[in-house]
Amino acid sequence: MSHKPLKLIIIAGSKGRVTVKYPYQEPLITPEFRGEIEIDPAKCIGCGACVKACPPNALELLESEKEVILRYFVGRCIFCWRCIDVCPVNAIKGTRNFELATDKHTDLYTLVVHTRTTCEICGKPFETTRMQRYIAEKSPVTEEYASICPDCRKRLLAEAVSARRVGISEHKE
Amino acid sequence: MLNLEETTKYIELASKSGGQAKIEGDTVFITIPPDRLVDVADTIFNKYNTSFRVCAGVDERPLNGHFSLVHLFTDDKAGLYVAVKTYLSGESPVAPSITSVVPAADWCEMEARDLLGIEFTGRETYRLVLPPWWPSNLYPLRKETPYNYRPEPRLESEKLGYSREYGVIPLGPYHPALHEPEYFELYVEGERVVDVKYRGFHVHRGVEKLAESRMSYQQVNFLAERICGICGFVHSTCYALAVEKAAKLDVPERAQFIRSIVLEVERIHSHLLLLGVAFHLLGYDAGFMHIWRIRERVMQLAELLTGSRKTYGINLVGGVRRDVNEEKKQKTLEALRELGREFKNFIEVAISVPQVKKRLTGSGVLPREEAVKLSVEGPVARASGVNKDARRDLPYAAYKYVSFKVPVYTEGDNLARVLVRVDEVFESISIIEQLLDKLPGGSILLTDFEIPEGRVGVQVVEAPRGGDIHYVVTGKGAPYRWRVRAPTYANIPALRVMLRDQPLADAPITIASIDPCFSCTDRVVVVRDGRIEEIKLTQLVK
Ligand code: SF4
Ligand code: SF4
Repeated sequence: MSHKPLKLIIIAGSKGRVTVKYPYQEPLITPEFRGEIEIDPAKCIGCGACVKACPPNALELLESEKEVILRYFVGRCIFCWRCIDVCPVNAIKGTRNFELATDKHTDLYTLVVHTRTTCEICGKPFETTRMQRYIAEKSPVTEEYASICPDCRKRLLAEAVSARRVGISEHKE
Repeated sequence: MLNLEETTKYIELASKSGGQAKIEGDTVFITIPPDRLVDVADTIFNKYNTSFRVCAGVDERPLNGHFSLVHLFTDDKAGLYVAVKTYLSGESPVAPSITSVVPAADWCEMEARDLLGIEFTGRETYRLVLPPWWPSNLYPLRKETPYNYRPEPRLESEKLGYSREYGVIPLGPYHPALHEPEYFELYVEGERVVDVKYRGFHVHRGVEKLAESRMSYQQVNFLAERICGICGFVHSTCYALAVEKAAKLDVPERAQFIRSIVLEVERIHSHLLLLGVAFHLLGYDAGFMHIWRIRERVMQLAELLTGSRKTYGINLVGGVRRDVNEEKKQKTLEALRELGREFKNFIEVAISVPQVKKRLTGSGVLPREEAVKLSVEGPVARASGVNKDARRDLPYAAYKYVSFKVPVYTEGDNLARVLVRVDEVFESISIIEQLLDKLPGGSILLTDFEIPEGRVGVQVVEAPRGGDIHYVVTGKGAPYRWRVRAPTYANIPALRVMLRDQPLADAPITIASIDPCFSCTDRVVVVRDGRIEEIKLTQLVK
């Protein structure tokens, strides 16, 4: 029998204890670690780009007559930070936080509530107030359409077209 | 790179069989009528000595009124993918089975039968992936079946097999070797295993259906990565490469280098994990602890490079999301140096521990012929003298820029499978060093590209457990069809050979020796069922 196995004692001795006294010590995560995200409610315009990009539906847009709510459910979040990649106004910040255990499930949700504008023509609820302002700032040319909902915009366009080609109406409700 | 002579024989074969062939990139697409399928598969597999990877059923009825069945082979010597497609009737799809000439096609045919309702002639058929209570006319992967439809589950207990001659010993379904649900039924005569029955596919996640119905191209990367908790990056890379191949995207070199680097980091962690588990199963827990201590360094390295210890989340169609700067490069090199030193020191000790060596040597033998016949993958193949490795044979990402050895052993026993992995750890360290040294400049992500509909991409990526294959048919904003086959899918059938005629006590280590990843294998079915498994223990008295 070889005496090689005895070498293990030497290896073990030279290594000593490698486990840390977590949670009484800083956890061993690198600066690169991706953890929970933080949405800055002052910056978010409620555009929903992050919702479209989020792979597990951790971000959702809940819409009602008066409000659009961006809801972040950390229980579903996979910490991929795709939302951060796509947010047009940098409203989302990545943190290194991963200690998320809680005894209140409501702690797992973050809500950003937005007020909604209504369409100037049909009066139906439309994009968030902030979103409207954002678009107006970005491209002043569209300003005259900015307060008209996509349905009405389509209808206006169709009417304009059919006004030229009399008889063909593409009007759809 | 493509050898013209090699492709001509496929084109001739296709025209001889009343079909057509076209070549796109490294893939030969052959379309033949169903009645010639067995002949063609026989020639491609047995005469041209290719590897059979998987078959995929596709519901093409919304496009052309037909179902189709695609058999995927790779000609590893020529660096070619061969996709053999047949169109089947849209009303009652029936295809001839190729299992008589390609035994490895057994499972994938049954999967196509369960999920798409394609019937097979010339073989015994059985339900493979769907639970027993699943309605018989409900085919999850048909396009008209909604992804979130859940039929009412029925509780049904599966009975333990019974044998007059032999004792029956259930192994699993909760913890056969790893913490994953897989069930083996061992028939024993005294201490010897005489036969094995296997029942898998307990974990139904519906990954393919989900991607096809609810997600976008870029979101699927993250879903793909979650197919496996150990080698997920393999899946997201394989998916991204398949889509990029289909769309003919020119992905920046630097991104491909980073993919290869991270793939090798993942391989090291995966091999060290398995070595630890193997030592644990052999009762050598000191070995387990030390290997995992060494492995911790790799996990931290992965986090440094990608932002996550596991499920790295940096792959996108078109490239990667995290770059490697000079500081990270130096830290990686330093970590690898230390890792190499520590691993070498320790593994020499561990492998020479008498109980480890004795129990690994000569147990769980898989002879070469069986390995070839079953088209097994990765270290299982290489330990049985089958010299195949997709990194060398079908180079992808940045593997064509590095040189490395592919360790091959001929013994086919548990020790050989362990030694293949030990050697590969050292090769992986060297590969990462070479890649970091040659890392080209430039961007890491392609933006602004289009993915045309109706294109096909097939990609194999060598996972730590062997070749992983993804087949993508592009659709509108998302894959129209996405077929995934993890290597364990190909390796489990070989367990039957390995376990037979072995002492019962060696069963757990033999099962572990293929480094099984059951959840990857089970990835396909639609509904997470609420069924309660019940194994009735009949008397084990002989
Ligand atoms: S980090 Fe990823 S999973 Fe979490 S909210 Fe952002 S996009 Fe969604
Ligand atoms: S502004 Fe940013 S955080 Fe707010 S909805 Fe749009 S993408 Fe999401």
